[in-house]
Amino acid sequence: MQANKHLLLWTSLVTLALLVFAAARENVFKEWRRVQSAASGPAGPIDVHLRQVVVPTLAVADRCVTCHVGMAAGEPVVAGDPTLKRHPEVGHDPNVMGCTACHAGQGRATEKAAAHGDVHFWPTPMIPLRYADAGCGGCHTHIAVPTVDRLAAGERAFERNDCLACHKLDGRGGTLRPLGAGGMEGPDLSFVGARAFRADWYDAHLARRTEARGARAESDGEARGGAWDDSFGPLSREDRDALDEFLRSRVGAPKLVLAKATFNSLGCRGCHKIAGIGGDDGPELTLEGAKDPGRIDFMHVRGEHDLAGWLTEHFRSPATLVPGSQMPVLSLSEPQIDLLVRYMLSLRRASVPEAWWPKDRVRAERLGEREFAVDGATLYGSFCAACHGPNGEGMRYPGMPAFPAIGNPDFLAVASDEFLTSTITHGRPGRRMGAWGESSGGLRASEIATVVAHLRSLGGVALEPDARAPRWVRGDAAEGARLYAADCMQCHGAKGEGGEGPALANAALLANATDTYLFETIRRGRRGTTMLGFAQPSTVRPSLADPEIESIVTFLRSWENQP
Amino acid sequence: MSSNDPAKPSRLDPEPVPRRDFLGKASLWAAAATGVFATLGIARLPKAAVLSSPSRKFKVTLPENLPEGQAFVPPGRSVALFRDKEGVHAVSIVCTHLGCIVKPSATGFDCPCHGSRFAADGAVTKGPAPAPLPWRKVTVDGSDCMVDEDASVPPGTKA
Amino acid sequence: MVVLAPPPEQHGALRRFFANLRATPARVKDSAFRGGKPDTDRTRSTFVFGNVFLHLHPVRTHRWSLRWTATMGLGIASLAAFLITLITGVLLMFYYKPHPAIAYDSMKDIAFVVPTGNLIRNIHRWAANVMVLTVILHMARAFYTGAYRAPREFNWLIGMGLLVLTLGLSFTGYLLPWDQLAYWAITIGANIAQSPREVTDALGLTETFDIGGLQKLLLLGSDTVGEEALIRFYLLHVMILPLGLVALLSVHFWRIRKDGGLVRPVDADRRLGPVHAADYPVFTEEPRKTYQLAAVVRGKSGAVARGPENTVPSMPHLFYAELAVTMLTIAICVALALVSDAPLKELANPQVPENPAKAPWYFLGLQELVAYSAFMGGVGIPGIVLLGLGLIPYLDREKDGTGEWFGGPGGKELVLQALFVGFGAALAIEAFAIRYGWLREWIPDIPQLWITVFNPGTVLTAIYAAYSIWLVKRHQSTRAGALGLFTCFLCGFVLLTVVGVWFRGPNWDFYWSPSDWPGH
Repeated sequence: MQANKHLLLWTSLVTLALLVFAAARENVFKEWRRVQSAASGPAGPIDVHLRQVVVPTLAVADRCVTCHVGMAAGEPVVAGDPTLKRHPEVGHDPNVMGCTACHAGQGRATEKAAAHGDVHFWPTPMIPLRYADAGCGGCHTHIAVPTVDRLAAGERAFERNDCLACHKLDGRGGTLRPLGAGGMEGPDLSFVGARAFRADWYDAHLARRTEARGARAESDGEARGGAWDDSFGPLSREDRDALDEFLRSRVGAPKLVLAKATFNSLGCRGCHKIAGIGGDDGPELTLEGAKDPGRIDFMHVRGEHDLAGWLTEHFRSPATLVPGSQMPVLSLSEPQIDLLVRYMLSLRRASVPEAWWPKDRVRAERLGEREFAVDGATLYGSFCAACHGPNGEGMRYPGMPAFPAIGNPDFLAVASDEFLTSTITHGRPGRRMGAWGESSGGLRASEIATVVAHLRSLGGVALEPDARAPRWVRGDAAEGARLYAADCMQCHGAKGEGGEGPALANAALLANATDTYLFETIRRGRRGTTMLGFAQPSTVRPSLADPEIESIVTFLRSWENQP
Repeated sequence: MSSNDPAKPSRLDPEPVPRRDFLGKASLWAAAATGVFATLGIARLPKAAVLSSPSRKFKVTLPENLPEGQAFVPPGRSVALFRDKEGVHAVSIVCTHLGCIVKPSATGFDCPCHGSRFAADGAVTKGPAPAPLPWRKVTVDGSDCMVDEDASVPPGTKA
Repeated sequence: MVVLAPPPEQHGALRRFFANLRATPARVKDSAFRGGKPDTDRTRSTFVFGNVFLHLHPVRTHRWSLRWTATMGLGIASLAAFLITLITGVLLMFYYKPHPAIAYDSMKDIAFVVPTGNLIRNIHRWAANVMVLTVILHMARAFYTGAYRAPREFNWLIGMGLLVLTLGLSFTGYLLPWDQLAYWAITIGANIAQSPREVTDALGLTETFDIGGLQKLLLLGSDTVGEEALIRFYLLHVMILPLGLVALLSVHFWRIRKDGGLVRPVDADRRLGPVHAADYPVFTEEPRKTYQLAAVVRGKSGAVARGPENTVPSMPHLFYAELAVTMLTIAICVALALVSDAPLKELANPQVPENPAKAPWYFLGLQELVAYSAFMGGVGIPGIVLLGLGLIPYLDREKDGTGEWFGGPGGKELVLQALFVGFGAALAIEAFAIRYGWLREWIPDIPQLWITVFNPGTVLTAIYAAYSIWLVKRHQSTRAGALGLFTCFLCGFVLLTVVGVWFRGPNWDFYWSPSDWPGH
């Protein structure tokens, strides 16, 4: 019994000590208690208690404001740690939307590591602060952007015309009125794209200038007109268009807009789908920014072991991180990589009810508006240029067969619009050229027509009229087979399966191509590519006579009926 | 194992309990102290540290054409906002009797539960309500109003 | 006007009323604790049998039962762990919300903002694990001391029921956090319930007799783990299983008394030797009266013809022991809770399975077997084991060695040998299957029925059974066979569990250490 008494005594004391320790740990030594005790408001130390932002409709209960006290609703400005400062003006109040909707992380947690998502099991850690605007992508899934070139043109126009003298934009420019009266001369334009502006803003702007001049005339030389009077003049049509486009993209996230424009302009969508639009060669990227870092292999990542670090390394050398990756090494500059990482991180979907959808998403998903410009150059740049070259000159990535030069005049001279449209819409089944019709690649018929028109403008030649029937060739297939084996096989493959040159035994190609198309292509070749005209005399191979070419075409046709 | 040794006490005799069983007493007290401490800790659990309801400080934008004297109740909130020439004020619409939500009426506010009536400034005119409807703190910031449902102000204060 | 004086008796009544009022506190105490202060042997006896919570105990306890080695306190530790889970579980119910949309959030609230929430949850989790462990150890103790033998056969069965309920409670609690760990462990568990399909499919009976599908449907209320499953698991966890457990527990305790107290050797008195002064007073006189309702009870019950010799008063001797073990259990649970947080991974995602998706540790031995045949590993072998355990007390009718550790023919040497055989066989089979694969790797299109019948689990079971039959023959004793079989199964359980916990990684492949897992 003595032993049992001893056991009871000591286990009781140990339990008591453990409980006291637990109580102290919870009620005294919590991280957030330290942060709050160090803070002081205008009326002395602040109340130490858990704070949170609750938004029932978003199922948000974010306790971030327990440490970031200055961002909680109705809290006085508190001094102390930088943690405590106010949230910068970004167009959204953290007390309306919570914190995690934009920044991700674990809002319910009250310890730093867990709250920031730096715990191995948390699938959506905070977006690194340097990429903070990527968080906009959670809701603003369809921010409309122009191309990089148009963006640059707009920015140049904005700077050249001295708009920054009066207007603040993305944290730059703007002058205060003399003696601080009335604040800035012109309004801050950083969010003007999100708030929308009148189509006739320029006329109104000019009219006020005229008014100001008149006022000066009346008041006889007094400087009443001020900046309105002399700091700006009439703009050219081009500048105005560029400015319009540029200002529409000023939604408070200039880097993100540039990042998205860069992604589009590099033609990434030729291989990758985002929200249903894009190619099928690469993986869909709609939720790339929401990837769970816990499921990523960081073995070969040199930088930070987070999603941003992984993406950065991946853009430098895709196959190092993803064995067997088909993605070519794009030789991007580091700033470009940084922009692409930013855009990738913005590809996420916060689960918000439809009532919270921003305008851009509603316009895109309900009204069918595009988030990219739909002119031929932009479409071609976004969807075709990565493979076919920015000017249709074709492309060759290390380790892959060359992509056809579709801007080649010799090609465009014999390829009809129907041929082009059908190829783009249905693709080449079995080849890398995917189908771009609305049900697969996501492009509408009107957009494909625009791309075709753009292609024509790239080559600068019209289709040569051809009165012959689509299938006019009657040659000797056996002779054609012999000639094919001698002259074509090295590049197009023994069975027309393609190699260095395109696959010829392709049902889609043969069904679409007229005899004239095949005949003329062989006869003339395509200047500037490895496909030389076989009618031309050459020192390295025999030149072919027209009947011989006809035989080859007949032979090619024999593949049409093969399964 | 029988022993009828007369020197040993019979089982019928009361067992002499050692008076100074320090160890036994100490162990029992230690166990009891542990139990009490644990119970105190447990008792703290049911009192929630944070409420699952949204913050009672909120921002609201009044309709531009709100007529004078007409109440505007922001959805999901329990204050009525009024705007007149002197400014904006907010009156709680939670009955001070038993917490029903009162309805703005022509004369002020009517409580549907036990018939309390309040004047437009929240004063009780009829029924069991023990106190007038409190006015809440409003701060006007441009077109937005910041309302703090936790802070009361003297009736008549307008922002 | 005439002023009437109050009648004298009325006056007296008022005085009596105030006198009664004054005496009330003392009377409340007297009425609650009849028999006065428990400071003598007799008043303590009164206290014990007059108290609803204490009267489950005998008023006197045999000195043998109080020895540490007699029970190791494992039964009380199991009860203590159960009470801890009960209390902490009720507390968690204040905040836990059993719906997939909010269950995980409420867990996060408990972890981060509920006062003492995280500690309470950790204690609940650790107490549950401690309970599983102590229940298994308690069962082993009861087995090795022969406590299942007549007249305690039925209590052994009740104990098995308690083991199943304990595992069931732990398993149903596993789903409630609704995180990845929970979701996939339960998905696997539910499909084990469906695994009789493996057999019915092979026999072509599934169309007409789909017992597996029915079991899964009953468990989940749907075809996948979803909100119906969550509410069912919640109901089982907080209501049905605890009530069942309390009911069986009551029977278990009651039977201990009725079966004559804890088991002890027939010659316990002789072995205990002379009474120590510290154990005074020990009941040493010959009984002068019967302690049974002998006149109305026909036949023999467990306690017939047993006097109170060599016993000490339960209060305080037994109670100190019980309190000490309880407090020890609490201390262990609290210490573990402070050292290690209960796991809570990311929100359940039905699209992305955990890899590896591991069941709770005590089922990892089965999961190891399930890797070959879901039916055999999940239903067949556990069924055989439970059936075997249940049959033991009815097959072993011997008397030798009851109440002694490893008592019976062969004794310690036999158990030692069985340890070698049990571990050796399990290790050999595991090593073989890990190194060379199993039937499917050799003959890719072999029908599943072959693997169901012939897999590492069934082979191991067969080896153990053969070994135990050999022991029965060699020692000419069922007890010897039972000792061998029980030891072997314990070894198999431990070894397979160890492999499942520490040496299995993604895709249930073998790894020497988690640091070798791909992607780490």
